Amino acid sequence: MNAALSGNAPIGRRALLKFAGLAGAAAILPLSGCGAAPSTQNGVTTLRFMQNKPEVVAYFNQVIKDFEALNPDIRVIQDFNEGNFVPGLVRNDPPDVVTRGFAQATADFVKKGIFADLSDMPVAATIDPEIQELISSWGQYNGNEVSALPFSLAAAGVIYNRDIFEARGVAVPTTWDEFVAACETFKAAGIAPIYGTYKDPWTLAQGMFDYVAGGSLDVAEFFSKLNGRGAAITADAPESFANNFGPALPKMLQLASFAQNGAASKNYADGNAAFAKGQAAMYLQGPWALSQLVAANKGIRLGSFPLPVTNNPEDTKARVNVDMALSITRNTPNMAAAQRFVNYLLEPSVVNTYNEKNAAFSPLKDAPAVENPQISGLGASVKEARYYQGAGTYFPPSVPLNNYVQSFVYSKNGEQFLAALDDEWRRVAERTAV
Amino acid sequence: MTTTSRVAQTAPPAGRNTPTSASAKAQTFRSRNRIDPTYYWMIVPVLALFAFFITLPALVGVFFSLTNYAGYGDWKFIGLSNYVNIFKDPAVLQSYIFTLVFALTTTVVVNIVALAIALGLNAKITWRTGIRTVFFIPMVLSALIVSFVFNYLFSNTLPVLAERFGVTPLATSILANENLAWLAIVLVTVWQAAPGATIIYLAGLQSVPSEVYEAADLDGAGSFRQFLSLTLPLILGYLVINVILGFKGFLGTYEIIVGLTGGGPGMATQSVAMRIFSGFTGGDYSYQMANAVIYFLITLLISVIQLRLIQRRGVSL
Repeated sequence: MNAALSGNAPIGRRALLKFAGLAGAAAILPLSGCGAAPSTQNGVTTLRFMQNKPEVVAYFNQVIKDFEALNPDIRVIQDFNEGNFVPGLVRNDPPDVVTRGFAQATADFVKKGIFADLSDMPVAATIDPEIQELISSWGQYNGNEVSALPFSLAAAGVIYNRDIFEARGVAVPTTWDEFVAACETFKAAGIAPIYGTYKDPWTLAQGMFDYVAGGSLDVAEFFSKLNGRGAAITADAPESFANNFGPALPKMLQLASFAQNGAASKNYADGNAAFAKGQAAMYLQGPWALSQLVAANKGIRLGSFPLPVTNNPEDTKARVNVDMALSITRNTPNMAAAQRFVNYLLEPSVVNTYNEKNAAFSPLKDAPAVENPQISGLGASVKEARYYQGAGTYFPPSVPLNNYVQSFVYSKNGEQFLAALDDEWRRVAERTAV
Repeated sequence: MTTTSRVAQTAPPAGRNTPTSASAKAQTFRSRNRIDPTYYWMIVPVLALFAFFITLPALVGVFFSLTNYAGYGDWKFIGLSNYVNIFKDPAVLQSYIFTLVFALTTTVVVNIVALAIALGLNAKITWRTGIRTVFFIPMVLSALIVSFVFNYLFSNTLPVLAERFGVTPLATSILANENLAWLAIVLVTVWQAAPGATIIYLAGLQSVPSEVYEAADLDGAGSFRQFLSLTLPLILGYLVINVILGFKGFLGTYEIIVGLTGGGPGMATQSVAMRIFSGFTGGDYSYQMANAVIYFLITLLISVIQLRLIQRRGVSL
């Protein structure tokens, strides 16, 4: 074997050299592709627009076509791979206009001063200030900047099957007692009141945990006080989870108990399929589930209502999230063009049409009332700003909240659950405070 | 037993002496005849790739474990406080306990199952080759696909069957049970990992000469006695290899858990690798890097101990 190898050595060596050279070239090629390219050529400015929803790519392609027809000096490239965003920041070559869901993660980018101030733009005045407040509540850069303008507001509540409600003569509940009575009615009739998908812990956090927490306490205020305490949070502090979430826990467990048998082994996809087939009366999901439900059963008649958690109908609130918020990166070389594009996106014909098509709410002050029967039940809450951002969205991503919520539903040990949340929160605060 | 312990006692000096003298001889031999550079051309590219894609990122990771870097943006040095915080974090401790218990259990079960299968497949049974192929299929399937299939079986098929036959404890998925979910993970891991161990055991069994069994037959030893006193000592080296390779692999368990439970229910099946990976998405990069460094040192220690054991057995990888 040795002799054979050395006999072939000259050829082998050359081949290896060639291979090494090729490998080296292959390794260097992609690197040289980086670096900011000049974005204005022949008087046409090229903008990069990043959005993170694969399902609306076609809609934005049409929007971009219309925009380019009106603005022949600007070309817009749509990039729907959000995974490029952070690497783009690292290479100092981020997209010019970005739209993301606005919560903890985007707020972190705001804190690092990645986005430009949009408060001077005329369109900023057309936005409902209550919805703008949802964004600024996460903290503003330099204390007063507007880093993002809302584009789409998603409101979540209880999705219900209108046919099952009508067949049992149940009206949409407006108080907690009515809600419990409705669940008992369905149970007595052998229908699962709620379809639970506990195998996917995020569905528990999004539904049961956020809805009950948001309905029973002022989530935004709780978290701003909690953040104010920083790392000095202990279980007996007045700002702790243990001292604020206690009263909400029994209702969470009661809500969880209305799910069908075997909810623990069903996931979100199972839930969509089963609920579309009419296997339960209610489903604790947001508008993102609607298109899936309709896809599984074209004839299904759906509605939504905000979950009442107290017996005062005035307290009933919807869970909202800023599903898309427009930002311009601070050091874009194409600021003027980017502002023109954002202005265009926030024209009523563009932004209202988008939200109408995607079962969401427009952030404009004078947006028309929502007519889509699937979400119109949430319209009053949104109009009157009776809403909250889900408690789960305030957690830093390093706290596995969803898993803790799931654990709580299975073990029913509320004390342990809240103590764990306090501990986790304190540990993250300690190590990020340094 | 006496023979093996005598081997164990005499092996180390022999093992230490012979290789050194042999390599010394080889070196004098090689230095007289110039070493063919082909060998370097074979090693250098691999070494360069290894250094660039594994060693360098690992060192960068160690560096960032001393900072408060979130994966992007500003950062500064914070000394060893990430390491101090790791030791105060019960969630991390729990993941270490889970991973160790899981790796130990799985190693034991995999080796028992694989040895049993190997003994069966080594016997002169009908359709031996065909049956061997069937047993090796799990090895070529992707662990992620296997775990998704089992996920479906545990969540949907098994509960329906259990309900029909009135086995109430199994009527809800064991993946939803915080105390039993890890057994499901062990089961699937064993199903996936046993064929690899079986191959090694089969190779070991085929290296045992048939004369020893004939002699044992003449001495009147039963088949169990033959297994205990002949087969097992003769394939001990293969057992050591299987235990070491298996244990190290199971310490890094990731994809089967992702496919089965995703770390749940609750926090019951979070492995160390999953916690570390959560740092990339969770803005907790430097903290989980510190976790990774600690875990690296632990696995390094275990590997060194195991290598020592191997050398004492006179087996080389």
